[in-house]
Amino acid sequence: MSDDTLFQSRRAFLRALPAITAGAALPLNSASAAEGKHHWAMLVDVRKCIGCQACTVSCIMENAVPVNSFRTIVSTYAVTQEVDGHTQVGTYVLPRLCNHCDNPPCVPVCPVGATFKRDDGIVVVDGDRCVGCAYCVQACPYDARFINHDTNKADKCTFCAHRVDAGLLPACVETCVGGARIFGDLNDPKGELRRRLDAAKRTEPNAVKVLKPESGTHPNVFYIGLDPRFQGRVEGQAALWRPSEHGG
Amino acid sequence: MSTSIVEVVNVAREVSWLPWAVQYFFLIGLSVGCFLLTMPWFALRRPAWERASRLALLGALACGLTAPVALLADLHQPGRFLNFYLHPNFGSWMAWGAFFIPLYLGGLALYTWLILRPDLKRLADAGGRWAGVYRAFAYGGHDSLGAIRIAAVLALTGAALVALYTGMEVMVVHARPLWDTPLLPVQFFITAVAGAIGLVLVLDRAIGDGHAAQGAHLLRLLAATQILVLAVGAAWLLLGVTGLSPTHANALAQVAPSSAWQITAVWAAGSAMVTLWLAVRHPAWRLAAGLIALHSAWMMRWTVFIGGQEIPKTGAGYYHDYHLPLGQDGMLGILGTAGLWIAVLIILISVLPWAGQRRVQA
Repeated sequence: MSDDTLFQSRRAFLRALPAITAGAALPLNSASAAEGKHHWAMLVDVRKCIGCQACTVSCIMENAVPVNSFRTIVSTYAVTQEVDGHTQVGTYVLPRLCNHCDNPPCVPVCPVGATFKRDDGIVVVDGDRCVGCAYCVQACPYDARFINHDTNKADKCTFCAHRVDAGLLPACVETCVGGARIFGDLNDPKGELRRRLDAAKRTEPNAVKVLKPESGTHPNVFYIGLDPRFQGRVEGQAALWRPSEHGG
Repeated sequence: MSTSIVEVVNVAREVSWLPWAVQYFFLIGLSVGCFLLTMPWFALRRPAWERASRLALLGALACGLTAPVALLADLHQPGRFLNFYLHPNFGSWMAWGAFFIPLYLGGLALYTWLILRPDLKRLADAGGRWAGVYRAFAYGGHDSLGAIRIAAVLALTGAALVALYTGMEVMVVHARPLWDTPLLPVQFFITAVAGAIGLVLVLDRAIGDGHAAQGAHLLRLLAATQILVLAVGAAWLLLGVTGLSPTHANALAQVAPSSAWQITAVWAAGSAMVTLWLAVRHPAWRLAAGLIALHSAWMMRWTVFIGGQEIPKTGAGYYHDYHLPLGQDGMLGILGTAGLWIAVLIILISVLPWAGQRRVQA
């Protein structure tokens, strides 16, 4: 093999790398859910989350999220509790993101129809139409939306729709160290998401939970290991760390 | 099992309805309230109301013309308002607002023009550099009570729809229990009318002859609004404390633990009681009563909007992060709106025969 041949093949190899990466992701979603309509969803196994914030950082990098803004974050809590006369202290972590609700309160309030739910279940914002009125920000029960200071328009997690459309996984899923985030198609009975959900339900009927179920939003972000004390607004002492106090 | 939870890491969502929104809701509320106060004289011809109604017309116009500017500023790019008309989503109260505001302001402009036509003609007949302009705007100078009443109905329809949409727009936000209470639109409306009476009393001292309250029962009306404010506030609290209304109980639960909110509630109730006391027992202090009523109307909106956004939807405690910025999204916005209001008022006073015959003869 000549040097030139080697160079060509290395170049070809490097060129092919993105496709190889994409190919690795394909079986998880596009390929396995080729039949019928997709219904994208995410399962967060809280027991596997180590609170490393790799998802937070990768989301920022992937989506060019402005400083001090977050499309996803791992809320972290110090919990002290008395159990059988003993004081137990521990940390509880809870990844948060847009829940891509089946009944999204952000959609009907938008005065110009800029925010909508795609056929595949992903809730997105049409930046060309958005007027930045922030009505959707108010309406979201999960505090998942914000006004992007670069665009002055509504911003939120899109499940990395641009990646999903290309057959890739959302950035947060791709980088999750503990494998706590599972993304897939609810309509694909053989997909990992569906299998994990079904397996969890078989083990414990109430194992799979959503945030604020009483709000009637029907989220498409499901949780395993979700402590009921963190299912709604958390009763506790306010955050010790604020991005705005340390960043930017 | 006792538990204590301390939030170590979380995001604090910023206030996204800025002080511009407070200014808009305050000014449009005052405009609607002032418009209602114009009707006793201009539409119903109650002579005792002439002074108050003429001042109220100025207030309705100045506030009505300034309010949409604050609303546009809250969009960060005023040209975006076009999308409200190009792509309206009629499932949204805000979308309806884009149509109700012009309906109200158009009705108010027509109503004002029909009212002022005879006086514009008198100004034209008196001669001067602007006589031609006044004659053109007078367009014959006819005085038609019937036409004024028709325009009043149009403006009243617009005013009612503006009052309805501004209340509903906030009330339907289930994600914020403090806003999601059926009494909120009522509270917005009552405080707006009280603020409008306060504005008329202030204008009476500033540019009127100080007698607008006489005969018009303005102070009695102001007292009635304060009794209503206190009654609705008590009903809100009662519904929350007893749990008769789950929505009010949820709202109360969000603010009850906070000492800042407790002080705010005492402040609001105290302001209403002081206004009531001044209106009933000390008519000579009507300027103070008017100023306090205005302050209460503004404070109510500030507390609901800015304070309401300081309550996390999922996180623990309160954000307590909001510090009024000095720039256009904060203090400059508030002062700018106030400055614009004063400028519009000065222009209106300068060019319109707002005081009727007396102004023309002078």
